[in-house]
Amino acid sequence: MQPILTVDLTTGATGTLEIPAEWARDYLGGASLAARILYDALTPELDPFAPQAPLLFLNGPLSGTSGPTTGRFVICGKSPATGLWAESNIGGFWGVELRKTGYDGLLLTGAATDPVYLFIDAGQVQLRPAVHLWGQDTYEIQTAINAEIEGATARVLGIGIAGENRLPAALLLSDHGRVAGRTGLGAVLGSKQVKALAVRGAGAIPVADTTRYNPLRSAANRALHQDNLTASLRDLGSAGGADYFDYLGEMPKKNFTAGTLAGVDNLSGASIAETILTGVSACHACVVACGRVVQLPGEKEKRKGPEYETLMGLGANLGITDAVFVTRMGDLCDRLGMDTISVGNTLGLAFDFYARGRLTAADTGGLALEWGNAAAVETLLPQIARRQGFGAQLAEGARAFARRYGDEDAAVQVNGLEAAYHDPRGASGIALSYATSPRGACHNQSDYFIVEIGQAEEDLGLQFFGRQAGAEKSANVAIHQDWRTVFNSLVICVFGNVPPQTVVDLINAACGLEWDIPEMLRAGERGWNLKRAINNRLGLTRANDRLPRALLEPLPDGGSAGYVIPFDAMLRAYYEARGWDWATGKPGRDKLEALGLGWVAEDLWPAT
Amino acid sequence: MPSIFPSEEWLLELKDYINQDEKYAHIARNWEGDVMFHIEPTGALIEPLCFYVDLWHGECRGVKMVPTGDLTEAAFDLTASYDNIVKVLKGQLDPMQAMLTRKLQVKGSMPYMMRNVPTVLEFVRCAQDITGQVLGEN
Repeated sequence: MQPILTVDLTTGATGTLEIPAEWARDYLGGASLAARILYDALTPELDPFAPQAPLLFLNGPLSGTSGPTTGRFVICGKSPATGLWAESNIGGFWGVELRKTGYDGLLLTGAATDPVYLFIDAGQVQLRPAVHLWGQDTYEIQTAINAEIEGATARVLGIGIAGENRLPAALLLSDHGRVAGRTGLGAVLGSKQVKALAVRGAGAIPVADTTRYNPLRSAANRALHQDNLTASLRDLGSAGGADYFDYLGEMPKKNFTAGTLAGVDNLSGASIAETILTGVSACHACVVACGRVVQLPGEKEKRKGPEYETLMGLGANLGITDAVFVTRMGDLCDRLGMDTISVGNTLGLAFDFYARGRLTAADTGGLALEWGNAAAVETLLPQIARRQGFGAQLAEGARAFARRYGDEDAAVQVNGLEAAYHDPRGASGIALSYATSPRGACHNQSDYFIVEIGQAEEDLGLQFFGRQAGAEKSANVAIHQDWRTVFNSLVICVFGNVPPQTVVDLINAACGLEWDIPEMLRAGERGWNLKRAINNRLGLTRANDRLPRALLEPLPDGGSAGYVIPFDAMLRAYYEARGWDWATGKPGRDKLEALGLGWVAEDLWPAT
Repeated sequence: MPSIFPSEEWLLELKDYINQDEKYAHIARNWEGDVMFHIEPTGALIEPLCFYVDLWHGECRGVKMVPTGDLTEAAFDLTASYDNIVKVLKGQLDPMQAMLTRKLQVKGSMPYMMRNVPTVLEFVRCAQDITGQVLGEN
């Protein structure tokens, strides 16, 4: 693999980090390799906003190779939202452009004294003043930076006001609204006084065996283009399944307290396709093109359309069913640099408290936080990003807001990360995804709901269980987490419905390996356990593997009415499948050694 | 005795069954769309086979085997191998799993299809209910 560019923002010194070949082989790249690189640096004492906190941007061996859904890279560090492992991957073109400069990654440490942006231009690295960009939104800075550099357009990845103000929901955005939304890494970049990272490269993307890779790549893209799921994602976007999720009771409403919501079908991908959709957008070389381009009534300009999580977070979760409004608020969050999942979830909690009489207009600056009150949302979003007014109370996220009212368990979050909009009462496997993910209540470390509705790949050993089955599916969830860990190493998109054997063939050709599916799953399991070990070192125990109160109570109506998740039995079976120690929550010594993580075993299980 | 699949008798039985099934009638009450099934030869099936099902507002209005050269068009085209169709009919392969693991290909309006997944599943349930013996079984 190509080296990683290192930049010390305190001194301005740059260098390169060469990755040992066995690391690149065992961890593949992306998030798992990042975990190996950052293992020693992520200590319990490390403040995520301290200058010495590392922030690593890393591609995978397939990034930019024009293979199926290979336009992604990952950003890793220590999360200000959770205090645990942070990982957020993002599409678009920035990561591919970085690879073209001759670097597979970028490792930032230190902090600048005044706002700067980094410009990596075909191997030349400059720190440029960004005082004039501070306060601009995430689209404005792309235009402004490209206006002041000479020559061809650079790809710009940057933060908004939320990142400058160090919100735990702060994101990084590039291109046409592609975001690394989760775990607050935009705030880490902001703490380093870095507004943006501009990249321009012209080199070739390295592939171990192009004569083997290129025909595989072409065939895989052709097959993916014809795929059913691709057709749904291209025609309807990520909200294509919304109607079915609603039918199953898998779509949350009103802060996860309601099973039905009149008019919620307005928020589906099908409804958007029939109303405001004017086109689609895609990441580098992607044949899926899940991105939405919409034109709102009364507007001439086209803009980014909302994806599923935004539609639910700023829509159904707040009792709002106006897709046009949600589109505008999603755009506002992007510009301010806030993750719509976390912000929608935190607002949902405030609305919930208001409905229960635990908040009044006297607490909210006069805002009536009644379900469906869109005007209140539009008022609060800038307040949150700027930490002003009642928004300042919401700025630290749902867990902190609930703690303020003495009821932490009221927040629908795990370990500080707000839950995404997939309700485990509608499809129970994601209960384990949320509870055991290395980054909190995340749906992308294992989007297990897709297995529940049918993507149970037999080649991976996945079985097809009923959506409300219990402990019998725990081992299945572990397999799916391992497979998605491979995806997050490569780094490829979960929307690419590529047969597992094809994925393995592509990796082998790109990396010069001769692995089979079990060996690839083992690499995924290695990465999953390494991230778990990092979190164990940061203080995580079995007590952290939990669900919030709201998800353990039955819903009164809808497609999952009355169902109670058998969570304790599921978790115990999961531990058995994982080979984790029930008393401590750590991976067992035998498991770690079997995965080639003996050095981690020595750390987690020191000889007494 | 149930009709053997695939056959015209099986198709007619499917039509009659759908038209007396109250659950299907309720869930599919808004469905408007005919479907052409394209079955690729595998296993006991040695020639490609097509059949047509006209579904409208919770009813089955017509069925027919479609000979080669027939120009009938439908709102949706479903294509699968004979072996995989049989697995679906015998409940050994979930229809959504078949769609999402590339064992069954769908062409037609995705917005319409994704809004009506429950109707699709009810249709499959009806087909499963009437299927006994299949071609290739003793």
